[in-house]
Amino acid sequence: MERISRYILVLVTIVTASIVLPGLYWMAFEKPINAPFVMYSCINDDFMIIRSGVFSDKKGNKYSREEYEQKLPFMNYRQLMVAETMPDTIKGVAIDMHELSRTKSFYRFKPDEMQAPKPALYPLLESESGRASLEMPDDFFRITWRMEFINAENNTILEEKSRMFSAVLYHKGFQFPARMISGLPTTRKSCDEGYFVVDASYQLYHIKMIKGNPYIHKIELPEGLKFKNIGCVDFRDKEFYAYLFSDKNEIYVIQQDTYDLVKLPVEGFVPEICELSIWGDLFNYNAIFKSEGQIKDVVLDRKFKKVDEFNETWLKKEERFEGKAFSSLFPAQLSLDDKNSSFISFYFQKSKGFNWLIVNLVLVLVHLGILRNRKAKYKKHLADLVIIAVTGIFGFIAVNFFPNKFFD
Amino acid sequence: MWKSIVYKEWLKIRWFLIGYTVLGLLGIGYLFLTVKHGFTFSGGKNFWYGILFLGQQYFSYLKYVPILGGLAIAIAQYFPETINKRIKLVFHLPVKENSVLLMMHGFGFGSLLLSYCLIFLVFLGFSAHYFPYEIVMAASITMLPWFLAGFTAYFIVALVVMEPMWLYRVLYALSGGFFITFYVKSALAGAYAPANPGLLVLTVLLSIALIFSAYRFRKGEM
Repeated sequence: MERISRYILVLVTIVTASIVLPGLYWMAFEKPINAPFVMYSCINDDFMIIRSGVFSDKKGNKYSREEYEQKLPFMNYRQLMVAETMPDTIKGVAIDMHELSRTKSFYRFKPDEMQAPKPALYPLLESESGRASLEMPDDFFRITWRMEFINAENNTILEEKSRMFSAVLYHKGFQFPARMISGLPTTRKSCDEGYFVVDASYQLYHIKMIKGNPYIHKIELPEGLKFKNIGCVDFRDKEFYAYLFSDKNEIYVIQQDTYDLVKLPVEGFVPEICELSIWGDLFNYNAIFKSEGQIKDVVLDRKFKKVDEFNETWLKKEERFEGKAFSSLFPAQLSLDDKNSSFISFYFQKSKGFNWLIVNLVLVLVHLGILRNRKAKYKKHLADLVIIAVTGIFGFIAVNFFPNKFFD
Repeated sequence: MWKSIVYKEWLKIRWFLIGYTVLGLLGIGYLFLTVKHGFTFSGGKNFWYGILFLGQQYFSYLKYVPILGGLAIAIAQYFPETINKRIKLVFHLPVKENSVLLMMHGFGFGSLLLSYCLIFLVFLGFSAHYFPYEIVMAASITMLPWFLAGFTAYFIVALVVMEPMWLYRVLYALSGGFFITFYVKSALAGAYAPANPGLLVLTVLLSIALIFSAYRFRKGEM
């Protein structure tokens, strides 16, 4: 029993050390990556890049800040208006500030939004109240074995409303429960478009409330298309409701009113590890996604046809000097959090290569030296030596924090 | 014999246990007083909205309450045993040393478990009155590691107090102290769901950690 209790303490200390020590290492030695900021210019039909404060284009031509801003008139229009350098026409199109403002859009996605605990209860706003402002309802809904509305004031179910919405969903072929509910649960938006809901059979529904009644539309999907994330948007041009990510990592938009799905010609985006920002303007969309070692900007026209692409890679953390030094010191690292997830878990990452074996073997020799000083029998310490050989510095700390002298 | 041992343990921890439980229940009372106040002044829908979409945690006051309980019971139970090495008397009883230790430990753990259950059940009762299942469930997932941290604190403090050498006391406290922080990281409500099974297993394993330092104590490590 004493031995078991000791090995439990050794295990707990290995877990602790493999979380704490790598954390301290990265806090001391991690260096920021100066990823470039990239945007497609409709003036010279090339990518404009800001890298460490230097403005350039893809060909390497350098620009002053003012010149750079003039190449991206939609992003910098306020500055250009102040400087009176905003062009009257671009590509033969007269620039109307209202139109410019209407077509500008920005959408941002981070992996930890998708990989996060979801609220499971949402407010269903009245979409056509006739009021100038949207109002937060007193109740929130869930979609489990039916669609249920719960009054927040007294925590009771609104039976009549729940039955009405559930019945319509049932008649529209909705398979309970919902897998995903996505919308903009806020009153700070131009209008309410309710929610896009994926049911148990991966069918997609649009649900909203119009004058107290359910509006439920089943959206026809191509065979086998499944969505794993839906990011609803509220853009002024009202061209589409949401950006949708499929299980095959494709990006779709769902068009306003017609519910037509349009697949964006963007490849290489993996929502589990990539941040995505999509900038829309009068002529183009810039779909820019960035992962640990890569940035890619896919430029689309207003009809979502591909115009150009920028791709740049750099060494990942584990491939740089500090990462290689880490791999030589530690056999692995454990972490309770991950920058791509909001969940707390035991994230295990083995170090690249086997250089860490050298440090592990040195530590085994050091431990043998300690045992020799103690005149201990090596045979009785075999398990400890194996622990050090496998877990390196973590195991070395653990077995020496909890010495097994008495078991010699 | 066993009855006497249990009685001895009860005498040591009773006021700490009762005091802690009462304070814990008063804490729950205060917590739901703030909830009631929030409902009255902001309205239920805004209170729910804050929890669901703004990351507000109405139960955050309770974060360190279980750890305090674990520390209090462990100190009350094991510190007196180290004064003049009284624990040696226990080891001279005509029962197996480890059995007596586990009995003592089990009693402390059981008392703490009862106290936690009482506090948590009252919390659940009030929560279920104000909030739907989803909010209560997310709160429970978030609070489970806090209670596990309380048990871990109890096991670690017992381990540290029973250790005869100061150097190792410091090392155990260092390792245990870092380990306890894993249970109380800042996170969204419900975010601990994937980690909870692993933390539960580690906590259960740690329940017999005391045996190690008590063994060293018995063997007279100095």
